[in-house]
This record gives sequence, C-alpha cells and structure tokens, in this order.
Amino acid sequence: MKNDLTEGSQVGGWESEQMRKQRRVSRIHLPNCSPAHLLICMLAVLLFWVASPAHARINVVTLPGRDSVQLTIYNSVDLTLVKESRFLTFRKGLNRLEFSWANTLIDPTSVEFRALTHGDEVEVLDVSFPPRVANTLEWRINSEFAGEVQVEIRYFTSGINWSADYVAEANKIENLMHLAGHVRVNNHSGEDYENAQVRLVVGMVRLVEEIAALARAGRPGPLTQLPAPAAMPEASAKLALYQEVDRLQERAKDAPRQVIKEGLSEYFLYTVEGRDTIPNGWSKRMPSFKAQEVPIVSYYKHERERYGDKVIRHYRFKNDKESKLGTEPLPDGAVKAFRFETDDRLYAFVGRTSVKYIPLNEQVELELGNDLEVMVKPVLTNWIKTDIQFDNNGNVKGWTTREAWEFELQNSKDIDVVLDIRRNFSGDWSISTQAQHENVDANKVKFVAPLKAREKQKFSYQLTIRHGTNATR
Amino acid sequence: MKHRITLAVLTGVLFLSHSAHARVKLVALPERARVVVSLNNPDATLVEEERLITLQKGVNKVDFSWRGVNIDATSIQVRPLTHPDNVVVLNTSYPPNENALIWEMSSSSAQEERVRISYLLSGLGRDIAYKAVAEPDEKTMTLRNYLRLRNDSGEDLTEAEIRIGYGANFKKTIAHEEVLEMLSERIDGLPIKKILTWDAATLPWDPEYEKKTVGIPLSYVIKNDKASKLGAHTLLPGKVRIFIKTKEQAEKEGEKAGEGVAFTGEDWATLTPADRELKLYIGQSRDVKVTQRKTKDDKTNIRRNSGNTIVLHDTDEIYKIEVENFKKTPVDLVIVEHIPGYWKMVEHSHAAQFKKKDAFTFEYNLTLPAESSGNRKTTVTFNINRINVQGNEPASY
Amino acid sequence: MPALLCLWLLFTIAPADARIHVVALPDRDSVQLTIYNSVDLTLVRETRTLTFRKGLNRLEFSWANTLIDPTSVEFRALTHADDVDVLDASFPPRVANTLEWRIHSEFAGEVQVEIRYFTSGISWAADYVAEASNAENRMNLAGHVRVSNRSGEDYENAQVRLVVGVVRLVEEIVRLANERKSKSDDADEMQRFNRGVKRQAGVALGKELADGEKRERLERREIIKEGLSEYFMYTVEGRDTIPTGWSRRMPSFTAAEVPIGGYYKYERERYGDKVIRYYRFKNDKESRLGVEPLPDGDVKAFRFFTDDKLYAFVGRTAVKYIPVNEQVDLELGNDLEVLVKPTLMNWVKTDVQFDNRGNVKGWTTLETWEVEVQNSKDIDVTLDIRRNFNGDWSMVTAAKYENVDATKVKFVLPLKPREKQKFTYELTTRHGTNATK
Repeated sequence: MKNDLTEGSQVGGWESEQMRKQRRVSRIHLPNCSPAHLLICMLAVLLFWVASPAHARINVVTLPGRDSVQLTIYNSVDLTLVKESRFLTFRKGLNRLEFSWANTLIDPTSVEFRALTHGDEVEVLDVSFPPRVANTLEWRINSEFAGEVQVEIRYFTSGINWSADYVAEANKIENLMHLAGHVRVNNHSGEDYENAQVRLVVGMVRLVEEIAALARAGRPGPLTQLPAPAAMPEASAKLALYQEVDRLQERAKDAPRQVIKEGLSEYFLYTVEGRDTIPNGWSKRMPSFKAQEVPIVSYYKHERERYGDKVIRHYRFKNDKESKLGTEPLPDGAVKAFRFETDDRLYAFVGRTSVKYIPLNEQVELELGNDLEVMVKPVLTNWIKTDIQFDNNGNVKGWTTREAWEFELQNSKDIDVVLDIRRNFSGDWSISTQAQHENVDANKVKFVAPLKAREKQKFSYQLTIRHGTNATR
Repeated sequence: MKHRITLAVLTGVLFLSHSAHARVKLVALPERARVVVSLNNPDATLVEEERLITLQKGVNKVDFSWRGVNIDATSIQVRPLTHPDNVVVLNTSYPPNENALIWEMSSSSAQEERVRISYLLSGLGRDIAYKAVAEPDEKTMTLRNYLRLRNDSGEDLTEAEIRIGYGANFKKTIAHEEVLEMLSERIDGLPIKKILTWDAATLPWDPEYEKKTVGIPLSYVIKNDKASKLGAHTLLPGKVRIFIKTKEQAEKEGEKAGEGVAFTGEDWATLTPADRELKLYIGQSRDVKVTQRKTKDDKTNIRRNSGNTIVLHDTDEIYKIEVENFKKTPVDLVIVEHIPGYWKMVEHSHAAQFKKKDAFTFEYNLTLPAESSGNRKTTVTFNINRINVQGNEPASY
Repeated sequence: MPALLCLWLLFTIAPADARIHVVALPDRDSVQLTIYNSVDLTLVRETRTLTFRKGLNRLEFSWANTLIDPTSVEFRALTHADDVDVLDASFPPRVANTLEWRIHSEFAGEVQVEIRYFTSGISWAADYVAEASNAENRMNLAGHVRVSNRSGEDYENAQVRLVVGVVRLVEEIVRLANERKSKSDDADEMQRFNRGVKRQAGVALGKELADGEKRERLERREIIKEGLSEYFMYTVEGRDTIPTGWSRRMPSFTAAEVPIGGYYKYERERYGDKVIRYYRFKNDKESRLGVEPLPDGDVKAFRFFTDDKLYAFVGRTAVKYIPVNEQVDLELGNDLEVLVKPTLMNWVKTDVQFDNRGNVKGWTTLETWEVEVQNSKDIDVTLDIRRNFNGDWSMVTAAKYENVDATKVKFVLPLKPREKQKFTYELTTRHGTNATK
C-alpha cells in the first residue's frame, strides 16, 4: 500500500477512464504542487503499528480524489450541502481517517461520514478535533471488514447560492405571453466544483447560525477565531482549468438540460440533469422551464392609501394547467418583461420587475409600474353636513356628513384592460351605489370595471358618515 | 507533561515549627487507577479519580497538588474506599500561594488504600447536538443525539469514564484543547407531528399587499415520552439539524436511483423534561396562504358620560379567514387568534376545531385538504362580542 | 520571614537603680487562640515560665510583622500571684511594637506567667458537605471548620477555640460607634475611637471567656461545643500548628442518614417562572442531628447515583446559622424537571358602576386560573406554590390551600415520579368603588 501524499490518487485495483482523467485534473489541485487553489484534500495519516493484539491496529489509508460530488444549494440562506463519495481501503480493527481543508468555508460541526457498502461492519466510534489545529477532524472508525469500502462524506459549506429569473414576452395585444424561467448558480465559495451534480432547494429553511461564521471558527465551540480565508486565486489559472475541464464534459454544451422538480416537505427540490463544473468565482445559468401562450390580463389597480393618485399596471395570470403552466411553483426572482411591437417580433421593453414565490394554481400579479394611459379620476361632487345634535351646554355633540363621489375612468390604450378601484372608510359609514362592488372587509370597498380599448366609463356612490353621538357603531 | 496533578504520600514523623513550611514531597506518584467525569450538572463538571496509595500505621501526610489545571480548590474531597472505617481524614492544610493541599490521614495499620478524590474542574465544556433524518412522508424520523466535549481544563483526560446521566457511558481519552464528539443515542422511528402555525399577531393579514410571499412557520413537534421511543430522560438543550430523505435521480438509463438527504432547517431545542413536548421551528411554507379580514367591527351598547365621551361599550365583531392549500398533499395548520379583555364567542364555523388556550388566546386546529385553493378553499368565520370595553383591557398576563 | 515575638526580661538589682537585665527567653510553653469570625479579632493567650528577681523587674515585650493591638496586651502571673505586682506598662518613645512592664516581685525564682493580647488576621469559617442518596430522601451531612492564618505569625502547637454566633456585646458597642460616626468629622479621631471600641469589646469578650472556661482533655480528637452566654464556642481538641499564610480544615461533625425532603418552591414575584429546589431537613434528634446549632457556612451537595457511590454534583449554596430544632431549607437552584405552569383561562369584567357624571367608578374582575404541575423526575417531590394578590380579593377553589397572610395564598402538592396534576382557582377582585376593603 503506497502512502504517497503528493500523488494521492491511486486506489488499489480499480481505475476507470474517468478516474484517470480526474487524476490528471486533480494533480493541478494538490496543495503541495500548486500555490493558490483551495482544495479539500484527504490526507493519509500515518500512525504507528502496535504489536500487541490488545491495542487497536491503526491503519494507513491512501486516498484517491473524489469519486463524485453532489451539491444541494439553497437560496434563502447561505448554505450548500456537499456530498462526496470516495473509495477507501480499511483494515480490520481501528482505522483513523483524517479530513482537513484549507481556503474553503466548511462548517466543522456539519461534517458526517457514512459507509455506503459494508454499512453493518463499519462504525464510527467518535470524531476528534485535534488540539490547536483548525479545519481538521479525525474519525476513529472500527471496521470488521478489511478491504475497499465506498464511503460518503457530507458537510455544509458557504458561498454558493442560486437565483431564479424570468423573461416574459407578451404579444401585441397583451393577452398572451411566452414565459421562460432560468436558474443561475453563483459560486463564491473559494473552491472549484467539477463534474458536480447540482440540486437546488426552493424554500425557506431556517438557519440559526451562519455557516460562514461556524466555518471561520475552524472547530466546534466558542474557541479562537481564525483569520478569514486566503484571497481568491488568480483568474488566469482558473481559466486554464475551466477550459481543460470543459473538454472532459460528456455532454455537448449546447444540448438543453432537464431540470427535474419534486416536492420535498414544504419545499421543492430541483435536480439539474447531468453534471456541471462551476469553478470558483463563476456563475452558471440554465433554463428551467418554458411556457408558450400563457393567457394574461392587463390589470390596473387604484387605491389612494396604497399608491396615491397613480394607477399601477399589472400582468395578471395564473400558475395552472389552463394557462400552460401548473406543473410546479414559481420561485421568486427578477422578471424582464417585453412586448412584441411589430409582426416581425421586434421587442419593446415593458419593464423590469420581480415576482413573488407563486404556488401551484395561485394567481400571479406582475407589477409593472405607473401607466399614464389608463386614468382614474375621483371627484367629490357634493358635501353636506346635517342632523346636528347639541348637548346640555349647547355644544355640538353629533353630526352627519353625506358625500357624493363620481369616478371618471378612461382607457386610452389599444387593448382591453380591467380596473380594480379600492376605497377605505372608517367610523360609522355606509354607502349607496348602483355600481357593482364588493365589501372586502369592514373598512374597504372594491369596484372592478373592465374597459375595452379606448373606452370611457363613469360610476358614482353616496357615502354617509355619522360622527360624535350620531355614531351608533 | 506540562499540566500535572500530583499526589504524594508523606509518611513518617510530622514536622513541626518552622520547617513545617518545607514539606517533604515524596516518592511514588501513583497513577490514576480510574477517572470518572460527571457532566450531570450543566454548571459544573465533577471529576472523580481513584488512586492506590500506601499508608503507614498512624498519621500519614498526603500531598495533592496541581499546576496549570483549573481545579476549584474548595471543592476537593477525598474518600477512602477500601477501609473506610479505619482510614480517617484528620484534617486538611492549605499552604499559601500554592495550588496544593495536604491531608493528614490516620490509618489503623500499614496498608494499601484505594482513595477517591473528587473536585470540580472548570474548562471542560459540553455541548449537545442533534441530527435528525425525516422520512419523506414526515411522519417519523431518526434522531441522533451527540455529545461534544471541549477540554480546555489544562490537563489531558486519559481513559476517562464520561457520564452524562443518560445513554451509554463512554470511556474516552481527550487531550487538552481537543474537542471530541461521540454519539450518545440513536432513536429510529420517532413520531413527528408536522404543523404550520399562522399567528394573527405576527403575520400579515392580507398577503396580497406584501412584497414577498408570506411564509407560514413550519414546525416539527416531538414528545419526550415512551410512546415516541423517548421518555427515559430529559432532553438537554442543543442545536437540532433536520434532514429529509430524498430520492436521487438515476443518472444513467436503467440505473437504480440511490438515496440521499437534503437539509430542511434547524432550531435550538430547549430543555425538555420527560412527558413534555418539544416544538422545533425549522422553516416556512409558502404553499399555504391565509388571508384574514374583519368583516364587521361595530360598537354596541354605547354608554357615554355627561361630557358625551364614550366610557363603556360592547363590540360585535366578525372575522373571516380564508385559507388556501396549494400543495398536492394535505397539511395541518393551526390558526392562533388573540382577543384582549372580556369576550364571548357568539358563533363560529369551526367549533369542532376550536380550542381555548388561555383567557386571551384561542386556536383553530385545521387539516387542510390537498389542492384546496380558489373555490375549494377553507373559510373560517367567527363572531365575538367584547363586553364592558373601556380601552384598557389586558391582552396578556 | 516568620514573625518574631521577643520578650525581654529586664532585671534590676537595687530598687532605686534600674539595672536592666537581658534574659534570653524560652519559647512559649503553650498558646491558646480564641478565634472570633464575625469580627476580625483573635484572643491569644500564651504562657511562659520566667525567672524573676526580688524587687523591680522590667519585662520588655516586642513584636514584628504581626498584627497585635498594642493597647490590648496584658500580663498576669499564674503562680506566686500574690508576690508579683505590675506597677505600670509603658510604650518606649520612638520604638514601635514594643511595650515594657515594670513588675515588682517579692519572690525570686521561676514564675509561670500569662500574656494575653488581641491580634487580627486569623479567621475561621464553617463548611458542609451533603451526600444525598439516589432517591434524595436521606443524606450524610459532614461539617468542617477551616481556620485561616494571615496574621503574619506562625502558631505552633496552639489550642484552637472558635467562637460561633454573633456576640451581642460587641454589636452594641459597634452600633454606638457608628452612631457617633455620623456626628464627627475628624477621621483620625474616628479611627482611634473605632479601634478603642474593638479593643473594649475584645477585652470584655476575653474576660467573659476567661471566666467561663473549664476545659478537659479527651482521648479522641474532637471539637467540643458548648454554649456560653449569647454564643457557642468550639474547642478543637489537641493542638495544631498553623504557619502564617496557611489554612487548616478540620472535621467538625458527621451525621449519617439525615432524612431530607425534596421541597420545590414556586412564587412568581420571588423566582419568576422558575421552580427552585430545596433539600429540607431539621436540626433535631430525630434527624440524627440536634446536638448543637450549625454555624453559617457554604454547603456543597452531592448525590450518589451508582452502586459504588459515585457523586453527581447537585449544587452549591450557603446556610445561615441554624439553632437546634430549627428547620433548614438548603437552596439548590433552579430545577427544570419540575414544571409549574399557571394559565389564566378566563377573564371577566362585570358589575360596572358609574358616578353621577357617567364615568366608570367601580368594576369587578373574575379570573379563572388553571395551574398545571408536572414532576418529570424519578423521585417524589413536594411542591409549594404561592400566589400573591392585592386589593379587595377573594378566592374560591377546590384545592387545598393555606392563607399565609392577607395577600398570600399557599398550595402544597405532593407529586409522585412522572406525575401530572392540575388545580384551578377563581379569583374575584373588586376595583374602584366596588372595593370594600
């Protein structure tokens, strides 16, 4: 059994094409050879043999590079779960496995070991964080089996996140749109990830301590803080690496990739098909879904307490099957909205906005800003004070006001729109009106008016408010 | 070794007068026969060590000193184990400016005695960490309870019996400044109750008006009792990290999909005695939407004083809560409402799910059907009257 | 450097002419220390054998590096007391820490003398170790006394006596001193006055001790305890050597199998939401104690939790002076395994009264409280839950309770291991003009 640290990638017996390629690649990363690159490296720990059978026989384990890496990336908190699998050769009895890292933010309290093969024969006795050394831990493992074991190591790291973004392309009359969703993975972790399976979690998980802070401590508990990790390596070295790795990718770069989406507790898990290489400092953007001809409605809201005198425009649509969507929730993200101006599909930029997280079958309202081509003008046409009551001292104790309001609505656009006008009242109030309306709650009334292109409309209501002792509620 | 605890037995004649200052330190330094570290008390770590010492007939002076170790000198005690009836500790002397003390022990005969020395050691800290992996249906989980020891006491602890009051007793060696983590307990099939909690006091009533989708807190509730495979001891405080099993996607055609996990949130577990519940708030759900409105808010029985100011009134209030569950699976939701002062429930739509928690708080425990949105949504209404309202009603106690 | 106490005996030949003789003195024959811990005072009595000449003898007593109150030093002849007479004592000019007695002796030869003085820097404290059984229903209680010598002087072969309790005599004098303090401006004068007060108190104390003592030597080394006037005195049998800077701790008593009860208190105004745990026992004969009062001191409590009597540390606390037959509650801190959760389940405001201006002048509130208690431990516990009310209140309940006073009610519940219980009470409070008391 060799225990050559500088090579570090032989595994007794088993070597595939992939392994050979990886070995060539990993040589560039070894800390002894190359200055800057961070790496998580498995060091072989050489410990003395003890002759007497009463003492545990301690093993020398030579380690290859990672067999495979899986990243599960979160966007609501700075956390990525890294899972790597490797093949290790164990001896019967006590084995000591040292795991250390440099220049990468790993939360030492999160590192876990699991034997994938011979699970019943391999047991972790304890984990030691050696004195005065940071970013290192040692598993003491008892193995009944002597030979090769496939193991999995998992840990939390920081510095990789993902985001969603959308491109909406509405047709000229703005009643249909194409909606394309993308996901973008950003890697600022300090580590290059090659050939990694990428999974994204859509959801709000709770983290009570920051991973980066736990990682900087270097070991569990309130011990001495270590300095921040070393500066990022130069771009030139990375570029060379990326080109080299790129050649190794099995799939053609242009082929579209599937993103498989599944429910996970209260969240969703997106698994990106195949494998990706994302070097440190780089981002990768991938298409997530595409929907054609999603029906939309131009919906305009007016509410003085919310928007002042402005009329705010929205694209309203539904995340359901009838709308050619409805297969998964839409993660929150930035939206760029365009409209096809002409028949040969020239763009007009409608607006930059963002969308909230939209569950399945829920309504979406994409807020697109103030639109001056749709007008809502409330006019107070009459104001009466009446029914004045006096107390024993002759002072006014109660009165009633009656307001007459008239609303002028005008749609100066070429497309049909829907207007949503809300009014807020307080105290002992009541209204009477011919217009169709909805009592949203005890203090809010909503009027909804569809207007065709170039249409004008009017509606009115009378508002009575009882003040002072006139008020009965 | 840099840090040392030494035990020396001085035999022979007592030195009096001035040369009492010059203690004769002796000879055989017995090694520890046994070390027990007891972590039952969160404020203090107790170490008990056993040593074999050779005593002469008559009065013996036993010198105990330490260096570079954080021992509380007033807590040091010695107990003879082998012949407790005829080995007697006469007194203890404490020299000035030294980390040492001297026991005068009388022994009825020349004999070997096993003594147990106990003291409180500071710098040996312990943390508890929990890792749980839930099944995909979130009905049960596997809980692992880890003990993490941080040894900043100044001395190495070799082959020490670690006792925390539950789980296995370990025998471990921890060097000074080492951190050692070990698995105390593993419980499979621990039942979990998953609930979402919507509290009218902390969450917005109208999600439409919010810039971000409102997340409803998601919690796992476990009970520390026998039915849940626990209940043997108090669960100590510590951080709980929850994972859930995921199905890996097969990478190649025909290949079997493996098993993996994803992290679904963490919380600090508070101390939970036996037969009590532990609620872990681990994340938020955005696939359930709750909109609450007050559709009636009237004052009734208004009573005014001679200045026509309202001094007392009752109210007639109607609340309407619309709940939509956009998920493909049903989920439990608890709606928490707060009403101050003296109030009466006139009528409500979900009387069977109603539970009064205290004078000013009540809950509706709903199970939302899968995909119950739009016109399949759940609507809860309740009509309350608040009585004898003056404006200074208590809302808490 | 050890302190040096030297006694120089000066002889004169002719009565008229003081011929000063320097005599080398033997060490002390014996020393007795009476250590008093609530004031920093120790009475030292040493006996020596001196050879006198007939006529005037000058005896010089000096000390260095030790805290002796010079105004407290006294001389007494034990043998030939009628023949030996102290004429005066003087403090030589320009010399510190020295005094000189002029003694007239009719007798020539060896005289056994006693010299008494007050020193400070020696103190003593009591401490206790309690070892509770696993079920926490019994304990072994061991008491110790620890003498600490920071006086600057080594004491070898000294008989040690400890004074327990607060001596009223000294308290009164100190109180007078403090009263005067508020009127006087002169700091120096005050200091002198205070020292004088202490000395007077010490002298009086010394006299009392001297008058009241009769000691007997016993075979086994023991601490003998007895009452003297307002206080107790412990005499440590045998002799001890305590060099300066050292402390010595000695066992004072042991009592095995003292019955204890686990007593848990809950009172929101006092402890907040915590349940505080106590070991309750009685200093009486039924409890294997009751022999003497227990001086105040620190307590360390342990519990046996294995068959080979390994300790679990329960906690540290302190105990006040405990007279005989008095009950003791050893406070051991917050216990999180016993839960008391009071919940206000209903609140009603009723019977609203108005004045002639129409404003509210009185109303009555009715509160329904539900108290949930849970014992998650493996041993029996007794819970003592106290609730405080104010104003014109009255309470109705099915639970057993006791009216501690006009504003406090006490519920006592015994709970078995893992037992849960609930009790409720209704509290009516009349406010404003509704209140009748």
